[in-house]
Amino acid sequence: MAGQKIIEVKNLSVTLDGRKIVGDVSFTLQSQEVLAIVGPNGAGKSMLLKTLVGINKHYSGEIYFAPGTKIGYLPQRFHVDFYLPITVREFLNLKPEHKYTLEEVLRLVDIPETWLEQNLATFSSGQLQKILLAWAVIDQPHVLLFDEPTENVDVVSQESIYDLLHELQDRLAISIIIVSHDLDVVYKYANTVLCLNERMLCYGEPVATLTNETLSELYGDHAFFHHHHFGDHHHHDDLQ
Amino acid sequence: MDIFILTLISGIFVAAASGLVGSFLILRRMALLSDALSHVALPGIALGILFHVVPIWGGLIFLFLGVMLIWVVENKTKLATESVTGVMFVTALAIGALIIPEQDLLEAFFGNVAKLTMLQIGLQTFVALAIITFILIYLKRLTLFSIAPDLSASLKVSSLKMQLILLILIAFTITIGISFVGVLLMSALIIIPAAAARNIAKSFNGFLAVSVAMAILALVSGLLIGEIYNLNPGVMTVMASTSLFVISLFWRGVALKHR
Repeated sequence: MAGQKIIEVKNLSVTLDGRKIVGDVSFTLQSQEVLAIVGPNGAGKSMLLKTLVGINKHYSGEIYFAPGTKIGYLPQRFHVDFYLPITVREFLNLKPEHKYTLEEVLRLVDIPETWLEQNLATFSSGQLQKILLAWAVIDQPHVLLFDEPTENVDVVSQESIYDLLHELQDRLAISIIIVSHDLDVVYKYANTVLCLNERMLCYGEPVATLTNETLSELYGDHAFFHHHHFGDHHHHDDLQ
Repeated sequence: MDIFILTLISGIFVAAASGLVGSFLILRRMALLSDALSHVALPGIALGILFHVVPIWGGLIFLFLGVMLIWVVENKTKLATESVTGVMFVTALAIGALIIPEQDLLEAFFGNVAKLTMLQIGLQTFVALAIITFILIYLKRLTLFSIAPDLSASLKVSSLKMQLILLILIAFTITIGISFVGVLLMSALIIIPAAAARNIAKSFNGFLAVSVAMAILALVSGLLIGEIYNLNPGVMTVMASTSLFVISLFWRGVALKHR
């Protein structure tokens, strides 16, 4: 199935309150491809994902999905109310379709079964992300849309989540779209990169595409000297 | 059968519906909204009294108007829902209090089960059962929408629709509860049991079950105490549910200590 077109986006624009947040984005996603979307905070990356997944319905342009394409979505923020009484089992059972049993999906994302009866509110944000990943893959989606969190996730668990994504991509043969501000992630895992800063600034294979000129245009000249981890200095959220 | 027994049985179903609906309101942080909304019934009740129809049906019409207004304000305008509901609620209260004759006012405020007719008891039991059935059918979707709106929307569940469904459920629940506890205390029947249940529950099913049980316990003991000591059953229901809430706080405190 490799090489088959899963998603095609043509001239996608999102305007919110008269301001263009995402402008003229076009790309295609093949099966088993990993596409990274990079850009500074507030560049419209999260909005782009929300539009693809159907949360935001106000857009112009075309979004095409191959017939029967199932999407798994991991939002940037998943705040669990401290008082919310719900176990991991109950949470995962809220997903309408299950292609894996709970035990299978836990093994897939490397979560011990003892977590099932624990309360969602007792987990750290890194652990919650794994639970969300289990949520996202339990119905065997064709594409994973992963919106990297900007806050409260430590570097170690972030790295392990990327390793996990990579492994899942291999084992399940799925495509992934990652929103990230970490260029290391892009070089390490992505086949294709799309630079977004309100409009699309680059699109292509990472090493060839992310030239110094492109990066300085994307992040502004000052960021040029920081090299990697551009997003780490400002922990603002993307525009919701 | 004795009409008090029937009232009691009907109360069990009404309380169960309140406990269920209240659980979702607590999760959605809509507790104050339901409080405000219940006051909106008052002008409708006033018109019902004026035109000699069963007052609560007038209340239902006004509740629906209130629901539509809140929904439109929240989704179609940039007005702050909070301030609009705040204004709406005091205005409705003032208009209602102006029109309703003084001797009927206390009844509208705090409820009067003694005035319930067989027909009303039957109707509100039926509506309560309908609410419970509906929630059980849509349980997963309502739960997901309440705890993670983004995940819910990503499954192509319309947030606008879910929000409207919740608001309509609140309107119906308020309608059937008002005869028991009145306009001013209605939110106590919806919100307090769910708030108490959240303090105690460890799982979501437990949360719903405890909320329903607490609402039933509060309403039944309120009705019984009211009947036995000749006190206002609505007021007694609120006292009972508040007591349960206080107990749940202690329970939570103890549970946290032993964690």
